[in-house]
Amino acid sequence: MTLKERFPLPWILFAAAIIALPLVTSSSYLIGVMIFIALYGAVAVGMGVLNEQAGLFSLAHPTWFGLGAYAAGIVATRGIAPPWMGVIMGALFVALLSYSIGAPLLRLRGFYLANATFALLLIVEILLAQLGPITGGHEGLLGIPPLSFAGFTFETDRHYYFVAWGLCLGTLWFLYNLMNSRFGRAIKAFSDSEVAASSMGINVPRYKLYVFILTAVMASLAGSIFCFYLRFTQPGVFGFPLLVELITMIIIGGGKTLYGPLLGAFVITWLREAIHMYLKDLLPRMTAEVDAIFFGILIIVILIFMPGGLAGWVSQLGRVSRRVFGKAGRA
Amino acid sequence: MAKPVGPDLILQASGVRKYFGGIHALEDVAFSVKAGAILSMIGPNGAGKTTFINVVSGIYAPDAGEIRFQGQDIAGLPAHLVAARGIGRTFQLEELFGSLSVLENVMVGCHTRMRAGMFAAGFSLPSMRREDRQMREEAMQDLAMVGLDGRAHDAISQLPLGERKLVGIARALAMKPTLLMLDEPAGGLAAHEVDRLVRLLYTLLDNGLTLFIVEHNMPFVMSISEHIVVLDEGAKIAEGPPGEIRANEDVIKAYLGEEH
Repeated sequence: MTLKERFPLPWILFAAAIIALPLVTSSSYLIGVMIFIALYGAVAVGMGVLNEQAGLFSLAHPTWFGLGAYAAGIVATRGIAPPWMGVIMGALFVALLSYSIGAPLLRLRGFYLANATFALLLIVEILLAQLGPITGGHEGLLGIPPLSFAGFTFETDRHYYFVAWGLCLGTLWFLYNLMNSRFGRAIKAFSDSEVAASSMGINVPRYKLYVFILTAVMASLAGSIFCFYLRFTQPGVFGFPLLVELITMIIIGGGKTLYGPLLGAFVITWLREAIHMYLKDLLPRMTAEVDAIFFGILIIVILIFMPGGLAGWVSQLGRVSRRVFGKAGRA
Repeated sequence: MAKPVGPDLILQASGVRKYFGGIHALEDVAFSVKAGAILSMIGPNGAGKTTFINVVSGIYAPDAGEIRFQGQDIAGLPAHLVAARGIGRTFQLEELFGSLSVLENVMVGCHTRMRAGMFAAGFSLPSMRREDRQMREEAMQDLAMVGLDGRAHDAISQLPLGERKLVGIARALAMKPTLLMLDEPAGGLAAHEVDRLVRLLYTLLDNGLTLFIVEHNMPFVMSISEHIVVLDEGAKIAEGPPGEIRANEDVIKAYLGEEH
């Protein structure tokens, strides 16, 4: 990759805007929403790579996110290790678990893999609620201390804003490099044709496992930051509603591109905020189910009019304009 | 390209058997491929030709038999290990990677010659970038070999069938194989494209490659092959130089049916 390809201009501008935002605004509401976008976005981007680019339709991402949150939270709250060690221990735990679960499950394809990983999501949600002495049960884990590292304690929203966006942009950068390398080509190759990919010398089962574990660990890291930001976790946060939300982000943003799911995270998170703000008089009890109605309609509309999601639509616009202006330029 | 070891037989198949339930796709097939030569396998539809390629390349494990490549038994080895030993192949229906560009398809062929792991790639380490650049150049050379370097950055879907077949060959060449197995390379090609293919195959032969071709196009097979193996209903019914095969009673029967 050339330098221009390694650091595309739109990305640099985006990163600059992200860094500049807390310097120009003092709205803690805005900062708070942006933290959620960063964390959900990081999970959705990894899930998009796994589901859409590697073609492995796994529904376990809310689980990895939740286990990362719980592992870090438990380690920090029970004083097993400093909070920042909890983040690393959570990642290691999720890596180990996703390895031992992925090794047998990744033999399944398509709908069957989705089914099996969905079962995992339900099982973990129940376990988190039932293992009261360890997880705090239905009430959740309370009194999680703030994240601290090398004598610095992350206390304000602004601190977490930078941690969350650092993680999100780091995830994007890592996956961008990865997808433009030997590794990424191998992943796209086996999603197109496993037979051809293995005949080119790609160890397909191993690469499936690699990308499964990698995106699980990325979700786990986001979950750990999430728990330190909220200082609280609950089993229901990591269940079916979050799964629907992540899938909606991927579909609306467009999972065939790396930035699509992050775009989706922006749209969905702000849409939910808008729904809650403008419809709270009409619908006094705004629950995840009410959100789901709006997201459902949005998914249908997007699938009909922009099958590639917003990102697919953007790149199509680019192609069309290049064709139009390219021809005009030559004439 | 690596010189084959031992005698000049690069591939030796003996007693190769593959059943799919009651269907005897391959029934004790035995023959050898001479290094640096072109050997073709012909036979009516459903004779087991593609199954044989799939068994050699490790897509299927044979139910019985031995397949020796450069003297070592590779029967039952998984496909990616067979590929790493130096057997490249193409596919009857191309099986190109639609989400990758033409050049990237060929670069997938470089996979076994590259080292970069997940972290080197993700953190974009200089060693990884150097390797990627070098392989990109080599892949361009492989594309130039088949005459498609001008279309390196096109999508696969933009290419006509004849050029897709050539991308399949370039992708296999990028593996720097010792033996190249081509599954119906001339299928669906126009006459001038077949001529181009023949010239390409002779160039590959001059470069030291051994070619194993499965084909339907008789004039093509007869003109290019030194040795032909004929398969019918999973069993070998004849073997020899083109002149002999053309006159063989069993072969004529298999292709035209029994006279009544």
